[in-house]
Order: sequence, then C-alpha cells, then structure tokens
Amino acid sequence: MEYQKPIPLKTEDNKHYWDMADQHELSLQKCNDCGHYAHPPGPSCVHCGGQNLSWEALGKDVRATIYSYVITYRPFLPGFQDDLPLIIAQAELEKVPEVKIMCNVIDCKADNVYIGMSVQMTWQDITEDRALPQWIPVVV
Amino acid sequence: MGKITDRYAIVGVGESERSRNSGTTPLHMALDAARSALHDAGLNAQDIDGFMNYNENDSCTSHDLATYLGVRPKYVKDIQGGGSSTEMLIGDAISLIEAGMLNTVLIFRSMNGSSGQRVGRGYNPDMLQSALPGGSYIIPYGSASPSQWFGMFATRHMHETGITKEHLGHVCLSFYEHAQRNPKAFLHGKPLTMEKYLETPDISYPFNIHDSCVELDEANAIVVTSAERAKACKSKPVYIMGITPRQCHPNAHYWADLTKVASDYVGEELYKSAGVKPEDIQVASIYDCFSWVVLRQLEAYGLAPRGEVGDFAAEGNLRMGGSLPTNTAGGMLSEGYTHGMNNVLEIVRQLRHQYKETDRQVEDCEIGICTGWSGPDIAGAMILRK
Ligand SMILES: [Zn+2]
Repeated sequence: MEYQKPIPLKTEDNKHYWDMADQHELSLQKCNDCGHYAHPPGPSCVHCGGQNLSWEALGKDVRATIYSYVITYRPFLPGFQDDLPLIIAQAELEKVPEVKIMCNVIDCKADNVYIGMSVQMTWQDITEDRALPQWIPVVV
Repeated sequence: MGKITDRYAIVGVGESERSRNSGTTPLHMALDAARSALHDAGLNAQDIDGFMNYNENDSCTSHDLATYLGVRPKYVKDIQGGGSSTEMLIGDAISLIEAGMLNTVLIFRSMNGSSGQRVGRGYNPDMLQSALPGGSYIIPYGSASPSQWFGMFATRHMHETGITKEHLGHVCLSFYEHAQRNPKAFLHGKPLTMEKYLETPDISYPFNIHDSCVELDEANAIVVTSAERAKACKSKPVYIMGITPRQCHPNAHYWADLTKVASDYVGEELYKSAGVKPEDIQVASIYDCFSWVVLRQLEAYGLAPRGEVGDFAAEGNLRMGGSLPTNTAGGMLSEGYTHGMNNVLEIVRQLRHQYKETDRQVEDCEIGICTGWSGPDIAGAMILRK
C-alpha cells in the first residue's frame, strides 16, 4: 500500500541529514567555529552565526533517552489514523546530549513511555528510496 | 518608569456576537466589533486614522473595515499572526502616535474560528513542512497541531517542576467558574468539576478538551490613543503603564530547546517599563490557548515561583477572591477565542470597574497584567492601570 503520511521534504539545508537517513545512518551538522551541533541543520550556526559547518557521522548505533513526549489520540495529519495512540517523543542523544531528536516511539505501548526511558534509533523504509528515523525501546 | 508610562490608553473595547456558526463573513463581524468599540469610546469612525488587524488569512483587511465604516483611513496594517499580536500592534500604535504620524488607532481581530478554518484541527502537511522552520523534522511524525507542539514543552516542564494533570485541571476549573458568571461566555451554564475533568479522555496527552481553548466565530476591537486625546473620550481610560510588545525564543525551530519559552524574556523589561513588581499585580489576563500555557507564564512573569505554580492554581489564587483573579470572563478556555483579544477586553473592563457591585468585579483592582503567547517562540505583554 502506498505510504500516506507526509514524507520528509529535502531542502538545500537538510538534504544531507535525510540522504544519510535513507541509508539508515544518522549525521549531524556541527559548527567548526564554536563546536556546537545544530539540529535541525541550517544555512549557518544558530549558536554563533558561523558559516564554517561540517557533518559528523554518528553511524547506525544511536542510543538516546526520552526527554519529553506527547501521546496523540486523534490524527492531525493524513496517514496517522491507523497509528493511534501515537507517541511523539524527543530523545536526548547519549553521545551528543545537546541534540534532541523528535521521532515517534514505535513498538511501544502508550502507557509504557516515560521520561528517562532508553531508546535507540531505527529506520523505517517508507518508500522505495526513503527511510524515516524512529525511536524504539531498548530491550534490557 | 519607562518613557511611555501612562501616556497612552485603551479607550474603547467591543465585540461581535460569538457563536459556533456566525453565518456571516469576518467583515460583518469586524464591523460589529468596531462599531461597538467606537460607541464604547464615544468616538466616530472619522476619529480613527489608523486601522490594524492580525489574521491567519482568515479575516477581512483593515482597509475593508475602514471602507465600510465610511472612512478613508490614513494608515492600514494587516499582519499575519495569532497570539501576542494584540500586544505587538498596541506597541506599533503607540510608536506611530508617539512619532506624530497617527492620532488614534483601532485594532481588531475577526475570525470564523469554528465555522471557517480551525487551528486545532491541524494544517496542510505540505504547507507546514516548508512554512515552519525545521518543519520536516516534525510533520512526518504526525505533529501538526499546537496541542502537540506545546504539549512537548508541557510534558517536560511538568516532569521538571512537579505539575500534575490535576494542577492543569485547577486552571480549567478556575476559568470555567468565571464563565458561569458571564452570560456571554460560550461555556456559560456548563460548569466543570475535577471529577469530570479527570475522567475526560486526552486528545493529545497532556491535554484533553477542557485544557484546550474553545474555537468560535467572533470579532473583537480595541481603540488606542494618547492620554491627552483620551480625555475627550466618554469612557474611563485604562492607561498603559508598560509594554513589551514582543520577545522571541532563541531558535525559530523552538523545539530545539524545550526549557525556554519567549515569555521568559518579556518580564524583566515589562516590569521595568511599568515601574511595578509582580506582587503589585491585582488582576490578570494570561493567554490561555491551553491550561498549561497559563502555568508556564505565571512562572515566566514571576507571578508564582517555579515549582509552585501548580499549587498556586490549586489554592484558588486564579479564582475570584484569590490573590490573582485571572481570565475573569472565562478566558479562551471557556469564554471565547480571538487569539487573545477577548482577554484584553476583559481586563480593560475590570480595571474600569465596569462590573462594580456585581460578583464579577475584582474589588478595588488598579493594576493588571495582560500577556500574549503565540507559542514558545513568540510572546509579548503589557501592564495596565485604572
Ligand atoms: Zn557556531
């Protein structure tokens, strides 16, 4: 069945992030002037305005901790009607705590999500050539 | 005190009817609200040289309104915006009057917020991905409604400060209680109990329908002029002691830092410009698109200490007779929703003592605060006095 949900729109500034995601890898934008990371990526550094940016590959093993979340019981966008209740969560990266990435938490019951919960990144193949990063609980 | 303290005033306030289905256009409602505000001030449309409005492409223009009030405006301004736009436009009006370019400004908000386009139902996904900064990092995950956007901040803040769902309920109960005294409130006759609140299922945790503002068809208008010109108006002027028309979150993609909201940057300058302290405030209109937004702003404006704002509400401080009666017409949670302007109308009426000798009047109130919240990204506020 055709994927009904919105597909991340690639732009000049975010293309590398989504290209890497399509290959099931995380890549983050970093400022070489002040050393801060930038997420979401942009045309220059949000911390210092610097233009000397680079990309840092974090690979396929991305661990994180749930930082905040909402649980949605109503579809606000097409395609989500079969995914309710839907967990949308920001998780703090273990290796780069200043970066918090928002995804759905999949394979998790709504009642079980909590702040501080360990998750890892997984990639859902949503079309033939696109993949979407998601959080999945770490099974202890 | 700041340089504009007590030199400008709100001299007229008015509204159209509010309903689920107006059966008419935003222009018709804007005309009703504008005529009502002019009548309240004792002014003619010819006395207004500046017309301003904020909208989300869901209204008539300022030029439209002036035209059908039968006047040629000198100055019109239509901005795209929701919450906190009232404060920003009042700031603009003051600046233009101060510069000698205008004399008296009418600001309005008119929207078929129920029968027309509804904010709470989400937006067009493709539009949002390109229109929102970093939109492609939220929209593909199903986050397209302010309840989800602000809820992400709320869950974290509640975790850090000990605010519970019951505390959110106390905000709702306080405002619903006010609405029972206001026959024009949309939820007049529909009181809320904690039991009923807690058993209402969430739309998007941590918010249920009671935590969310009512979406209605309505128009509001206010008239701003100099203190000098206010003397010629028939209404009792409410003076602007201080205003911070706008402040912003450090990041346009405000989810990048859930610990900060734009309101955190408003208070210091606001109190300095008004020459008062938080403890001097006796009545409040706190922007309330969601219950939690009220608690977060009470903290941001120093009206209750961080970590204690939930208890502050639970102890009844937002109710009549409490230390800070807030959104006394019912607020956007239970009176009506014009992206904040109805709360401005109410605080003006309170400070005029327009409800004197009724159970709606906050007794002897002289100083009030009115806050605007577009989201965690943009905010503004003003302090008003009798
Ligand atoms: Zn930098």
